[in-house]
Amino acid sequence: MDRILSYFDMLPWFPENTSTFGGELDSLFAIIYWISVGIFFLTFGIMGYFLVKYRYDRNRRGYNYHGNNVVELTWTVLPTILFAFIGLYSDDIWERTKYSSRLPKADVQVLVMGKQFGWQFLYPGADGQYGRNAYTHRDECRKLITALNPFGIDSTDPNSMDDFTTENQFKVPVNANIVMHGSSQDVLHSFFLPHARVKQDVVPGTWMNIWYNIFKTGKFELACAELCGGGHYSMRAEYEVLSKSAYDAWVDKKVAEAIAARSPQPAVAPQADTATVASLTK
Amino acid sequence: MSTATIETTTTHAHEDHGHDHHHDLPWYRKYVFSTDHKVIAKQFLLSSLFFLFIGGAFALFIRWQLAYPGKPIPVIGSILPDSWVTEAGSGIITPEFYTQLLTMHGSIMIFFVIIPFAAGMFGNFCIPLMIGTDDMALPRLNMWSFWLVPPAGLIMMAGFFTDTGYAAAGWTSYPPLSAQTGLAKFTISGQTLWTISIFMVGFSSIMGAVNYVTTVLNKRAKGMKLFDMPLTVWALFITAILVTLGTPVLAAGLAMLFMDNFLHTSFFLPDNLVTSSKYFGGGQPILFQHVFWFYSHPAVYIMILPLMGVVSDVMATFSRKPIYGYKAMVFAIAGIAFLGFIVWGHHMFQSGMNPLLGTTFMLSTIVIAVPSSIKVFNWLGTLWRGNIKFSSAMLNALAFVSMFIIGGLSGVFMASAPVDIYIHDTYFIVAHIHYVLFGGSLFGIFAGIYYWYPKMFGKMLNERWGRLHFTLTFITFNVTFFPMHVLGLGGHMRRIYDPNVYDFLKGLSDVNEVITIGAIALGFAQLILVFNVLYTLKKGKRAPRNPWRANTLEWAAPEHPGHGNFDSDITVYRGPYEYGVEGRKADFWPQWEPGASKTVNHRTVVVEDESRTFGAH
Repeated sequence: MDRILSYFDMLPWFPENTSTFGGELDSLFAIIYWISVGIFFLTFGIMGYFLVKYRYDRNRRGYNYHGNNVVELTWTVLPTILFAFIGLYSDDIWERTKYSSRLPKADVQVLVMGKQFGWQFLYPGADGQYGRNAYTHRDECRKLITALNPFGIDSTDPNSMDDFTTENQFKVPVNANIVMHGSSQDVLHSFFLPHARVKQDVVPGTWMNIWYNIFKTGKFELACAELCGGGHYSMRAEYEVLSKSAYDAWVDKKVAEAIAARSPQPAVAPQADTATVASLTK
Repeated sequence: MSTATIETTTTHAHEDHGHDHHHDLPWYRKYVFSTDHKVIAKQFLLSSLFFLFIGGAFALFIRWQLAYPGKPIPVIGSILPDSWVTEAGSGIITPEFYTQLLTMHGSIMIFFVIIPFAAGMFGNFCIPLMIGTDDMALPRLNMWSFWLVPPAGLIMMAGFFTDTGYAAAGWTSYPPLSAQTGLAKFTISGQTLWTISIFMVGFSSIMGAVNYVTTVLNKRAKGMKLFDMPLTVWALFITAILVTLGTPVLAAGLAMLFMDNFLHTSFFLPDNLVTSSKYFGGGQPILFQHVFWFYSHPAVYIMILPLMGVVSDVMATFSRKPIYGYKAMVFAIAGIAFLGFIVWGHHMFQSGMNPLLGTTFMLSTIVIAVPSSIKVFNWLGTLWRGNIKFSSAMLNALAFVSMFIIGGLSGVFMASAPVDIYIHDTYFIVAHIHYVLFGGSLFGIFAGIYYWYPKMFGKMLNERWGRLHFTLTFITFNVTFFPMHVLGLGGHMRRIYDPNVYDFLKGLSDVNEVITIGAIALGFAQLILVFNVLYTLKKGKRAPRNPWRANTLEWAAPEHPGHGNFDSDITVYRGPYEYGVEGRKADFWPQWEPGASKTVNHRTVVVEDESRTFGAH
């Protein structure tokens, strides 16, 4: 039986799951999938049987029967119960993964800004506090947004001294609640981490909550899932999930670089880290 | 029962009979700017078939690129111009042209193929004939509803000759991308033309729809109650209500988008975008998505409900059985239509709208599965104890039902918002939409063409070619679209030019190749249909008046009805699906034949049978 079922099992096509809620989403998919396989065989079985059994025979007539309300009621109520179950169960998971009120306490915060065609990230640095920028002070700092200062950072704010940016790559610690706030500087993009089962459109002018907690270290990919122009396909970034100590070391290094770059001339916007991304293939 | 006598026994040709005063019309009023609903239906058929091939060709370009990225397109690649269409001298399409192709494929297939086929062709052809009247209530408006389509199509295709090419923001055209903030004010781009074109076809839909509603409510034959109407008419009637309520909203959205795009207003654009043009800002991009899907979700039902009606009629006729649960079917259609207006947000689960709304829209969306399953079970019930003839029309109708089951089931996945997080904007969605719109709507359209072609052109289509066309289409359709579910599970985003950029998609290139081979075969299989239509038009067997021995009123009309449709007065005596009635010699009992019956235990029993021998053959 297991072997027969395995022929219909499409689930192994999923990329490996790496996030805490990803397992839940996958098992919900599996529940709906196996219910669907059941309904598929039920309906196709009935249909195939009828098509063979009641195929044309010149000596027979179709049965004049207009239907029966008890039968209609049965096949109205049964699917209602089944689908209500799917709906309520789904909603429970939906509330836990997406509701703003269920946003977990952040261990690490990052701002992400999509652009045609790439991803930019802003880390709050060692103090864990952003300086004034378009996320913390939308009204004042949005007008500072330019192609070179996508986050609208106000560099006169001392808190922004240790804020640092990266482009097309980011790093996060393992087993920590990462809370990102995402936006876009031009058109719609969608922040898609296939392995972590994360997807959230980012919309210019608004900040979206994105959170996840990854339990596996390694290098993974970030893709854009919303058509954003000709270069949509190439809007790829890489991220690395590091152990806590390796992550802290990386942050310290980036903070030092950011401060060094800004010290002589504090009024200039921070330089983005534009290192090109090497392919993951070894 | 009235004793009105009805002349229905003639089986000879009536083509020249009828309303002679119409023959005074000049040729261009008869064949071009005609107000005859049947001519308009044929015009919709021709224009939709034409666009079907254009849209299909675009799809093959897309498929070639996905299966063989970086390889020149065979034959055609070398004649495509350089610049933004192909990489200079290589025959490889550019990423920009790729996004234009996918935009045009979606827009053409939805607005110029499926909707004109479903609402335009079947609405025009079936409604007056099936309710037993001479024409639409407003024939001139009807003519306009067709004659907006060709110029709209030309305007959209003219995008190719603008500096930036066709529209390239997807058929959904979400701003800010579709507002094209990088272009100067008053620039006519492909996107501007797209907006104008869709606005025009929207008006075409509205004109058709108000006409359908008026006609169904006011022009039914004597004795025909609403619940005597065939399901095709019911479905078209309910669809027309959807169109009249939904399309004006789309028109409003498109008007705002046009102003953002062309006049640099900012209905949908926030302040301080990083762009070369100056906008005031203050707009909200997500607003467009709400407005767009408020129409475009009902539009999904506009594209499938008429075909549900068509398929019901075809299935009853070829199962020689009444539709199981006729009233339940009507209520299910109405239920789907009503729910269609409160579920639009399920396209936007990941869009950034408040997740609280996600809960609402998820629950309302999942409810749609209930009327859909009612319909499926009733179709199965219709097959039960039937006497099933596998004609080309019936095969296509059965394909509709079975593919709709798969498409409906895959819809449950994305209705569940948490599952949608992962599969949203992947090929899983592409698989779903094609199972519903090709596996569903297009097979339904084929079923309808095979079924009504005899009445439309007075000739029989060749059944053997019909079955060959069906078999090839059915197989290649599944080879093409089923593996797309697999791509989706692998995380393959839709609308990407080259999947090989991503490491996590590298294992899927074989799947992409299989799909492309299937798609090419699928495209060529459609030539059989075109050949069948064109060949039988000239050399086909003449169709008898009622070739399928069916009950509905269109078969009371002459073989190839002229302007005015019927050669006798029509009175309706019973519902449309009285097949296999006990006590009658023939296994069908047309709606127009006098007689009385009663219902015993859900079965119809003859009380008085006044009909003369009705010979179809």
